[in-house]
Amino acid sequence: MAKTKMNFFDRMQALDRRYIYLVVALAIILPLIIPFNSKTYVTEPVENIYKKIDSFSGRKDRAVLMCFSHDASTMAELFPMEVAILRHCFQRNVQVFTICFMPPAKPLMDFALQTAKEDYTVQSGVDYVNFGYKPYGIFLPIVLGMGDDISKAVETDDEGRIVSNLEIMKEIKNYNEMNLVVDFAASAAVQTWITYARARFGANVAAGVTAVMAADNFPYLQTGQLIGMLAGLKGAAEYEKLVDVFATHKEMVNGVETVVPRSFSKEILKESWIKLSDIKNPVYKTARTGMNAQTVAHIMIIVFIALGNIGYFVNKKKNEN
Amino acid sequence: MKRQIPLLIVILLGFTFVIHTFVPSKLSMDFYDWYQSWIKAISPFMVLLGIMSLFMVNSNKIQRKVPNWQYSVVTLLSLVATGAIGFIWGTQEGTPFMWMFKNVQMPMGATMFSLLAFYIASAAYKAFRARSMEATVLLVAAIIVMLGQVPIGMKISKYIPETATWILNVPNLAAKRGIALGVGLGMVATSLKILLGIERTYLGGGE
Amino acid sequence: MTFEAISNFIAAFFTLSIFSFLYKDNPFYKFAEAMFIGVSMGYAIPLVYNLTFIPFVYRPIFVEHNFWILIPALMGSLYIFRFSKNLGWLSRYPIVFGMAIVGMGVPMSMHAYVLVQVRTAMMPIDSINTFLIFLGTVTILLYFYFSKAHKGIYGKITNIGIWFMMVGFGASFGYTVMARISLLIGRIQFLMGDWLGLIK
Repeated sequence: MAKTKMNFFDRMQALDRRYIYLVVALAIILPLIIPFNSKTYVTEPVENIYKKIDSFSGRKDRAVLMCFSHDASTMAELFPMEVAILRHCFQRNVQVFTICFMPPAKPLMDFALQTAKEDYTVQSGVDYVNFGYKPYGIFLPIVLGMGDDISKAVETDDEGRIVSNLEIMKEIKNYNEMNLVVDFAASAAVQTWITYARARFGANVAAGVTAVMAADNFPYLQTGQLIGMLAGLKGAAEYEKLVDVFATHKEMVNGVETVVPRSFSKEILKESWIKLSDIKNPVYKTARTGMNAQTVAHIMIIVFIALGNIGYFVNKKKNEN
Repeated sequence: MKRQIPLLIVILLGFTFVIHTFVPSKLSMDFYDWYQSWIKAISPFMVLLGIMSLFMVNSNKIQRKVPNWQYSVVTLLSLVATGAIGFIWGTQEGTPFMWMFKNVQMPMGATMFSLLAFYIASAAYKAFRARSMEATVLLVAAIIVMLGQVPIGMKISKYIPETATWILNVPNLAAKRGIALGVGLGMVATSLKILLGIERTYLGGGE
Repeated sequence: MTFEAISNFIAAFFTLSIFSFLYKDNPFYKFAEAMFIGVSMGYAIPLVYNLTFIPFVYRPIFVEHNFWILIPALMGSLYIFRFSKNLGWLSRYPIVFGMAIVGMGVPMSMHAYVLVQVRTAMMPIDSINTFLIFLGTVTILLYFYFSKAHKGIYGKITNIGIWFMMVGFGASFGYTVMARISLLIGRIQFLMGDWLGLIK
């Protein structure tokens, strides 16, 4: 009996990796095509970014800078958070600037703006401005230059217009007004904002990072060098949820379903339940549908680790005997 | 002289930047404005390095007809074609240039890294072993964090996400702070070595 | 077949070509990889020209007639000598001009990475968590001090640092698994949703 069991574990240990790949593919495909509702709990670093951006609502002397520091390879994690934040800004009349310092980030930035703009009547140069791509070599000079004068530091926007002439810049000069920088990164780009914009000018910095980078940023959250953080697909799912629960909250007004934004409240968040099937635009729930597959995949990985270790210990015992 | 003058520029400009950081004055701001306009004018030429390097590596392969040299032709043709499309039709949304990016570059870039999901699953099965107490602690922490991130963690027990948050906010924070302090001091030391002309590898080889 | 469907088909073809590497290395993968490198680099050229050369070089010189900008522009063009055996030294000038900004990095890095972190690490120990953070930070720093042998009581103290690091690495590993899976989810969402229309 024991011998048969050992052979089974031996075979399991030597399993062709391509069977494992097949299981991985199925563990992700099935939850995506057979969706189910799952509840994402919201963490404090995500709440902090939401509340900060929401506090700029309707103010002409406040703006958020979104810096896109990634290419398509990490788009699955970062793109949903970028769209969610842009949606939040457009819905709540928060002025937005976008910028990137690497060529492959430029179309992703344009794509995020195009996607988020679809449901809103926002005007470039008035409600938002895309500073476009600037070479990495002048990343630091621009980060530092913005502490003095944003228009002077970036000079032109993506459409070649002189930034200082744009209406959106009327009450915006430097980090005192552009009071939040959110860097979306798969690298240490966010550290540059912490080291220079935060340390020298006291700018509020937040990070939207891939999950790989997330654990490293906790010391900066504790010191306040980062005011908040969105970590990977879960961070994006959390922000999507906050936007749906508060910024785009719908109520029946005179028999018509109308968007009535409401302020952030932990109590409301605790009680709220959003059915994913009620959200018509799939882009607005990308991260949350993805989290269903993420759940199954994490269970799968844990089972893999357990099976691998059981096999290892059984074989070890056999060898000792 | 070929090394000394560049080193002198780094030392002089570098220390001016140190002074600029500590002494904000009209003079130091003017210096910074001047530096900004000059470095911006230098920046477009950096892309030349990448293009030249790619051309040299691939044309070499084609010339020497190394195995699979045909793929180097594909690389160079793609490079020239993409650049030409951008110059002819522009780089804005809705142009063939953007179409190329969205339907060729973007899907491939995204897929390259997604392969890692398969490899990490395979490694989880074949390599992650609790061989020692330290490795066991690592695996347990990883499993709690993994479960704490997904909705099922909360379904199993409310303590799973709470424990995951505690791991991230306390022992993980301490670990990352200890490492970050080392990295920070290392960065300062390296910067000082560059400023003092001790670290010179960035100048490249030769005289 | 609509234009969007054709576009999605092409994107799906390249996606599957890359995925085919999972089975084994093959011409489809090699072709896609070669094209990816070329397109990525080729993509940067017009972008850099339009968005940096025109506003930072062409406009100041030819529109605003600020001829001083000719000096950095000429300096920038020295990059082309980087791969030359005899004139490679000329490419050092644009490099050192950019490198000089590390002068600002010294005080700033000291502030952001060291002083602020040390200050927060020395907050009053008012709970078990603040004590654990303090203990972890100090023991890890001691662990990385290699001038003293890790033996006896000192060895036991540095051992505590190892345990903290293992938990930290575990947390990073957990997050890494999440990240990698998320990237695959993104591609499957494209294949199953945008291309095949199976995700509702």
